[in-house]
Amino acid sequence: MSGRRGGGKSLSWAVKFENRGLWTRNAVAGTSVYGETRRKFSGSEYRRWDAHRSKLAAGMLLTNNDPSILLPEAGTQILYLGAGHGTTVSHLHDHLCGKDNERGGRLVAIDIAPRCLRDLTHLARSRKGLVPILGDARKFTTWGALIQRRVGWLFQDVAQAGQVDIFLSACARFLAPEGLALLSLKAASERFSDKDEDEVFAEVGQRIVAAGYQLVEAISLAGLEQQHTLFVARRII
Amino acid sequence: MTFRTAMVWVWFDWRAAAVVDEQGQIMDLEIWQGRMSIEEAMSRLELLAASALTPEARRLAERFPEASVHPAGAVELPEAEYPLPSVEEQEVADEAALKLAEMGVARSAGDPDRRLEHLMGATDELRASWLIYESRLVEWVALFIPQARFERDRSALAGKVADSASLAELAESLGCELPEVGPDESEWQVLKQSGERVRTIGRELERLENASKELAQQHLPSLSALLGPLLAARLSVCAHGRMRLARLPAGTLQVLGAEKAFFNHLKTGSPPPKHGHIFMHPWISRAPRWQRGNISRTLASKAIIAARSDAFGGEVWGAEQIGEVEAKVQEIRDKYPRAKRG
Repeated sequence: MSGRRGGGKSLSWAVKFENRGLWTRNAVAGTSVYGETRRKFSGSEYRRWDAHRSKLAAGMLLTNNDPSILLPEAGTQILYLGAGHGTTVSHLHDHLCGKDNERGGRLVAIDIAPRCLRDLTHLARSRKGLVPILGDARKFTTWGALIQRRVGWLFQDVAQAGQVDIFLSACARFLAPEGLALLSLKAASERFSDKDEDEVFAEVGQRIVAAGYQLVEAISLAGLEQQHTLFVARRII
Repeated sequence: MTFRTAMVWVWFDWRAAAVVDEQGQIMDLEIWQGRMSIEEAMSRLELLAASALTPEARRLAERFPEASVHPAGAVELPEAEYPLPSVEEQEVADEAALKLAEMGVARSAGDPDRRLEHLMGATDELRASWLIYESRLVEWVALFIPQARFERDRSALAGKVADSASLAELAESLGCELPEVGPDESEWQVLKQSGERVRTIGRELERLENASKELAQQHLPSLSALLGPLLAARLSVCAHGRMRLARLPAGTLQVLGAEKAFFNHLKTGSPPPKHGHIFMHPWISRAPRWQRGNISRTLASKAIIAARSDAFGGEVWGAEQIGEVEAKVQEIRDKYPRAKRG
């Protein structure tokens, strides 16, 4: 079955597929985060989740499996490494926490750039349950005290050399058994390799399996993102 | 206490510390008893971020000197039932984390690298528009006063246009005759305003450059002494910060700003660029062509040392060190007074 599907389809209580795009129920009704369209569906306001700007949304549109398994369970604790300006984070928050954190979720978002944190802290002020941290995603000890319980869902998008090592050790340290981990990998960030893209991606897949994870899918984001693949791994034990 | 052969760890987070053995058994526990406030949680989270110990962790580390001490999140720690914060405590910590993030963002305004970046960016943009406005003004005035020649001193023109009440007055101040046809009154007014604008932007540019110079001299004193503050600032911004600049090889500093030529060289095998921004330095731009590559190599290798001295808190370069570099450059000039033939 093709990844793109037509007609309204609900992926979670707050995420739906409508008009060939993804929408999330707006936790802060009346506001857009990055200039995205808002629209009402049966009484509640939704924000359009731009798949060109969010690799998670792109992955959900292009996956061969059920896109809803890529989402965390609403009301749980998740970890987001390399949060950027909060585009994906805001939609995840819609789903995970909802208005005034009615679902009781907790989204810990880490980024190293003060410029990104400026946007994230503004976002966190209006969205309860979002915890932004200015820190290095590689240095677990500087922020690890805020992740006490293992998380059921982890996303990493850091686009730097050695991102696979960071991903595997973050999963080993913070991912709960049966938890889902997503790695957005940019081939060009693996700098010192002279392999071509496909070889890089194949090798990363092998490394994830060798580390004891089930590789659920490697979604090529071609068409929506350049040179990116979204790896979906599940912790078996 | 007897000596243990088994491994023991001290685990700690912002509110508790625990001693744990290989089986994941908690052998000792210290929980922070103080009043739970956001400020206190912030200072404790800051300790963790700075890889320092909390008081609880320090007490346990003293009690178990053989234990290896790691904050929560460290890969080395064994699996164990570590004490978890309550919901209220977690809320306090989350609020503290958000405040810390806001403080970190506010603090980044003090980063001279970011400040220089804006100063240089603003200078470049303003200079680009100033050049456009100024060249338009020169052409515009020359249309009405064809006799006027500006090769010598275009800079005074804007002021003269702005200060003249009419075209006749302008012609007089330029020492030219007034031609028969001239602009309408409204046309003259906009011409005059355009002169005012060029003058204003020119002054603003000067202030911007002074601000850049001042900051560069504080932030990059040695490199500024060797290359001049504006070139030093440009190189630092081009390398995305002083620390990154200091870690570049000299050869990269030499061609910073000549990326197009450099990557064209890698791609097609065209001759490599001899100099990037560093060409602005008069030792290179005023040198005869055949000496430039050699001098820019020498200057770049010395400049990178100056940049490292700035970045890692070394001695600030003075006349003595600059004199040594100049002597080396002089050697090159003496050695190759003439272009190689052939």
